[in-house]
Amino acid sequence: MNRLTCNNLSKVYGKKMVLDGVSLTLEPHRIYGLIGRNGAGKTTLLSLISGQNFADDGEISIDGEPVFENQSALDKICFSREINQTVIFGRDTRKIKHLLRAAEIIFPYWDKEYAAKLVSEFELDANKRIANQSKGMLSAITIVIALASKAPITFLDEPVAGLDVFMRDKFYRLLLEEYNASERTFVVSTHIIDEAANVLEDVIILNDGKIIRSENTDELLSRHRIISGLADDVDEFCKGYKVTHSETLGRSKTVCVEFDDLDKFKADVSKYDFDVSKASLQKLFMNLLG
Amino acid sequence: MEFKEDKAIFVQIAESIENDILRGIIGEDERAPSTNELSAKYEINPNTAAKSLTLLSNDGILYKKRGVGMFVAEGAKQVILEKRKERFIEEYIAPMTREARLLKLSKDELIKIIEENS
Repeated sequence: MNRLTCNNLSKVYGKKMVLDGVSLTLEPHRIYGLIGRNGAGKTTLLSLISGQNFADDGEISIDGEPVFENQSALDKICFSREINQTVIFGRDTRKIKHLLRAAEIIFPYWDKEYAAKLVSEFELDANKRIANQSKGMLSAITIVIALASKAPITFLDEPVAGLDVFMRDKFYRLLLEEYNASERTFVVSTHIIDEAANVLEDVIILNDGKIIRSENTDELLSRHRIISGLADDVDEFCKGYKVTHSETLGRSKTVCVEFDDLDKFKADVSKYDFDVSKASLQKLFMNLLG
Repeated sequence: MEFKEDKAIFVQIAESIENDILRGIIGEDERAPSTNELSAKYEINPNTAAKSLTLLSNDGILYKKRGVGMFVAEGAKQVILEKRKERFIEEYIAPMTREARLLKLSKDELIKIIEENS
């Protein structure tokens, strides 16, 4: 099954509440997108649910089994973290092949042949040192580790950061290939939202340590519209709707509205002379948070 | 394929399969692309691709052959044409008349423009 559930997770660093009562269920065999601004708590959330960090409050379990310090549950999870050129004492002089060998030991489902194939797909040289890799190459290594881990639940934190457009395209293609060929669940955090939107079946939007939306990407987009028109008309229309964002320019007003009943919305909006459009995921994200 | 924002992706993919059928690229009783093929081709989530195929099979354009995949139904072209004609008004005529009103074009002027440009 491999259904991961976390309930009421909280984490405090100093005085800052980094995660504030986060509850979430990751259904088996889905691709989730985790989006949020810098410092929203994305990496903290991923490190907590992968057991690499402990929560101050709340529980995390896979099929009812607690994750923290439980090897059989942890074996099902891979959180391939960002790799840096430097470690605490200076340059990271390890070679890529050393990291892959370590991964082979850590991840029980590791697929060595697949890892080798991915290394060549991303044009990496396993004999090169970590310190000599560009940011994009380091991202590619974390992708190789995440995919080749074959872990049933795999987290990728900013996998496309620093990758050029060809490599990003390659990543999405390889991710879909692996997803189609397996029963794995993936959670991908990213700032390049629109590019990933068609790959992400569900989207989790994190803001200030809280989940503000968590649902099917298509459904989320189809429940919102951006409308603009004469400010007075827009205000009148908005009375029955939840407005998530609004901008006034002279006598015109542009708002983002949220609704549950599309037919009712269409009927209501047809009474006015408005420009109506659907937002892209990135635009919606900005409207929800802006 | 560049996706438009104002239409769900699965609808756009379904339309592109319909276009292939209309153009004769996929003939009647020939196999339609699978979920995984669509997912790879358009780089979309396979569940989105599956939705497109379901939409087409609900409309009677594709049918399922057990264990083999989805195939183009007999008479699919006709079904698509009917369906598209219905949508033509909503998608092309309605926005056009809206714009025409905004531009204060009379009905006669609008008809004249259409005649001159078709």
